[in-house]
Amino acid sequence: MFRFQSLDEDCTLEKEEGLVEEEDEIDQFNDDTFGDGAIDDDWQEEHKRLAELEERKNDGLGGLGLGGLGMRGMGGDSSTVQLPPPASRVPHPSSLPPPHHSLSSMPPLGLEEMGGGDLAESLAMLILGADPAIASVGGPAGPGDRSTGLPPPPSMPQQHHHPSQLPSHHQLTLSGLPPGPLHPSLLSYQQHQHLLRRGGAPMPQMNSHNIWENNMGFGPVSVTPGLITQMEDSPLLSIIKEVGLPNRPPPVMSEDGRDLSERAPPPRSSSPVIGSPPVRAVPIGTPPKQPMSHAMNHQQQIHHPTTVHVRAPVHHQHRYPPSFPERISPNTLLNMANSPLCRPPFPAGVGPVLSQIQRAQMLNSQVAGFPRGCQGPPLLPGGGGFRPFFGQPPPHRMGPHHNHIPCPIIRHNTTHLHPQHRRMLTQRMQSRGGERGGRVGDWRSRDPYSNLMTQREKEWVAKIQMMQLQSTDPYLDDYYYQNYFEKMEKRQERDRDGVRKEHTTKLITPQVAKLEHTYRPVQFAGSLGKLTVSSVNNPRKMIDTVVTSRTDDEEKREKQVWNKRRQILYTVEKMYSLLLEVQDFEKRFMQTPEEQREALLEQHKTHTLQLYASLKEKEWDDRVSDEQCLLIMSVRKGKRLISRLIPFLPPLQAATVVMGIARNLTALAKKDKQDQALCWLVEPVAVVISSLSSAALTDLLQELQGSEGQLSKVLQNKFGVTLLYLILSEGERMQSSDLNCQLMDDNRWTELVFSVTRELLNVPPSSLSPPLFTPPNLLSLFSRYVDRQRLELLQEKLQISALSR
Amino acid sequence: MNYMPGTASLIDDIDKKHLVLLRDGRTLIGFLRSIDQFANLVFHQTVERIHVGKKFGDIPRGIFIVRGENVVLLGEIDIDKLCDNVLQQVSIEEILEEQRLQQQAKQKTEKAKVTALKDRGLSIPKADNLDEY
Repeated sequence: MFRFQSLDEDCTLEKEEGLVEEEDEIDQFNDDTFGDGAIDDDWQEEHKRLAELEERKNDGLGGLGLGGLGMRGMGGDSSTVQLPPPASRVPHPSSLPPPHHSLSSMPPLGLEEMGGGDLAESLAMLILGADPAIASVGGPAGPGDRSTGLPPPPSMPQQHHHPSQLPSHHQLTLSGLPPGPLHPSLLSYQQHQHLLRRGGAPMPQMNSHNIWENNMGFGPVSVTPGLITQMEDSPLLSIIKEVGLPNRPPPVMSEDGRDLSERAPPPRSSSPVIGSPPVRAVPIGTPPKQPMSHAMNHQQQIHHPTTVHVRAPVHHQHRYPPSFPERISPNTLLNMANSPLCRPPFPAGVGPVLSQIQRAQMLNSQVAGFPRGCQGPPLLPGGGGFRPFFGQPPPHRMGPHHNHIPCPIIRHNTTHLHPQHRRMLTQRMQSRGGERGGRVGDWRSRDPYSNLMTQREKEWVAKIQMMQLQSTDPYLDDYYYQNYFEKMEKRQERDRDGVRKEHTTKLITPQVAKLEHTYRPVQFAGSLGKLTVSSVNNPRKMIDTVVTSRTDDEEKREKQVWNKRRQILYTVEKMYSLLLEVQDFEKRFMQTPEEQREALLEQHKTHTLQLYASLKEKEWDDRVSDEQCLLIMSVRKGKRLISRLIPFLPPLQAATVVMGIARNLTALAKKDKQDQALCWLVEPVAVVISSLSSAALTDLLQELQGSEGQLSKVLQNKFGVTLLYLILSEGERMQSSDLNCQLMDDNRWTELVFSVTRELLNVPPSSLSPPLFTPPNLLSLFSRYVDRQRLELLQEKLQISALSR
Repeated sequence: MNYMPGTASLIDDIDKKHLVLLRDGRTLIGFLRSIDQFANLVFHQTVERIHVGKKFGDIPRGIFIVRGENVVLLGEIDIDKLCDNVLQQVSIEEILEEQRLQQQAKQKTEKAKVTALKDRGLSIPKADNLDEY
């Protein structure tokens, strides 16, 4: 019967321990990602269970349960164990639907191991495997899955290889566990001893005689680890251990347990990862994970370093199990916390849990003490944050458990309730709790669908609602509330004449520290960016604004530049408006009646003068201000302006403007690299040139050649070249047309032309910009001044077609 | 009261039989199984009760999930005090028929009113109960 574990099994177990960690992580991630119970199979079981419940209500039950159980328990295993009549007496563990996964992990192996040895064992294992309420195995099914769940019964009689894990389960409470028939009494003595040593035991609901005779009664109890997850039940467990479980009489079994009203509701559980790190950053929208017993974890860590992945069998309503009645069906006990018969379903007395911050800020522990010991929710060191106030438990519920366990946890609702208020509420609740509890509790215990919403979930909702009330400044946010209770306290103090001074003077004014939760996007090493998850609290950043502050110097410089430019533009604009008026003169002239025409004319003249005035030098009338010109021409608009302006100017003034242009052509050319804007000037300039006198022309040409190297630069510019050609062609025209041309009289022209030709010859073709057009008479011009050879060169270079004039 | 003293909370109402009136006028009765922070409600073994005059009819609906914003009011039903002398329960078909008749009658009167007003040159805009745009 007691086959010891084979070696490989041992190895797998040990290996499993290492793997457990990963599983925990994975599971935790899954739960976080998909929410509570999303990847949980238990809801399916539960659903099936409930569905079956409905069916059963309608059809009536046959021996369906166990028979099916037996089959399922096998997980399709070939080795079917015959279930003898005693088995049928086992109360239906409330409509066990086939929990496939959990079963498959356990029974097959066990059965193999046992080789169909002890019926009790096999059945026990079956039932335990089948009933998630009792113990379910989380994680992947398979032989290696032992350690993740209930230490399977078949391996019971095996070594105590894993004392490290299992003793931890001593800590675990028994809450879902029917103490009576399930536990040691069901096992044979030796098995039980093994169990004790190993610390875990399945508690099948078996009623086999050989089992019963070994009823340990009030001995120390080994507890199925799979049943226990809650920190809050540890006092209970320790009590049980000390006191022992009441002796469960067999008659309970004979009832078949068909008491549907006492049937355990389908346990809702997902993976309470014992030993998983406490979840700190849970976004608000996340429903609570199923029992996360961090506290459990901590406790365990103290004693037992290894973690076990255990499924919580039952929701943690099992806070205040009633004093053990004589006849508790296993299901009731499973259902223990569900609705203790004498209390409102949601245990009062579960005080709120402090976050670390709140605890730190607490000045005074104004705990409404728990007279019945610590029965509160697990202390979540980092996770819970704020917990709502849960009032006080009815003080007399757990008689035997009084004072056994000191309350380890101080619970506070520090942020919102004025202590006075809390006191009042407590009193109120206590008075109400007794009267209300009896009837309702009874009814609730019969409702198989009750507690679909687990305690955790309720707390979660309450927490969300209370979070809205959190404030850093209660006097600011809730002035009247604070004042009201202060007044009340003062009044009370007055009435009592300061009897209870210590209560009233020590007022906690707790405030929640405002935590800055700035979201820092995660960046993986080696990746090119940050992984940003946007949520309600961290909406997606549309614009990444960065403040760049400039130094003063830079700012000044920039400002200056901008100012200058603005000035130029302003001037240009002004001139433009004048120009437009001038341009429109004709039209207006036509439209105005005779009388006003003169006035208009005058106006026109003034405008034109003004225009010129803005361009010209201050003192000299016949020179255009270079600066001004340059400034204006530096802006595109200014160039355009000039080009439009020139036709309107009187010839002399126009000539001066053109001179100015020529003079400053290099500078202009630099600014006008693309030659686009300057070319607008060609036309008007051409017009001007054609009206120039020879002297003026010469002057112009001289201006163009102005300084050293200017010509070459000019030649690089399209406009420059064009201008040059224009000048030359004009000169040529003059010479050719007017025989009395004074051009030749002045040597300047000749010299200039010579220099031009020289320059033209010297300049590399690449830098010679193609002109807008080439006047045809250039050739004849050059032919006058240069010899044939050069002429040909020039011709080539300039691509002047030899046209006969 | 346990959970949120000084506040109103639905947590204590869980697993109790409730009657909820929705914005569209329906009355649902069922066991409140679950809530959330928006007062979305999960009702179990829900029954839609139609009232026409002194008669009412129950239509079993199963499981209802009600979005919180559609709830007008919600109140616990005392199970022990279930039977009502005044109201008379009828079958579903009958109550639906009654409801239809009632709707018809209402529409008729409404129409008559509107025409009367129109004759007198007045027009009262129809009150929109449904908030539907």
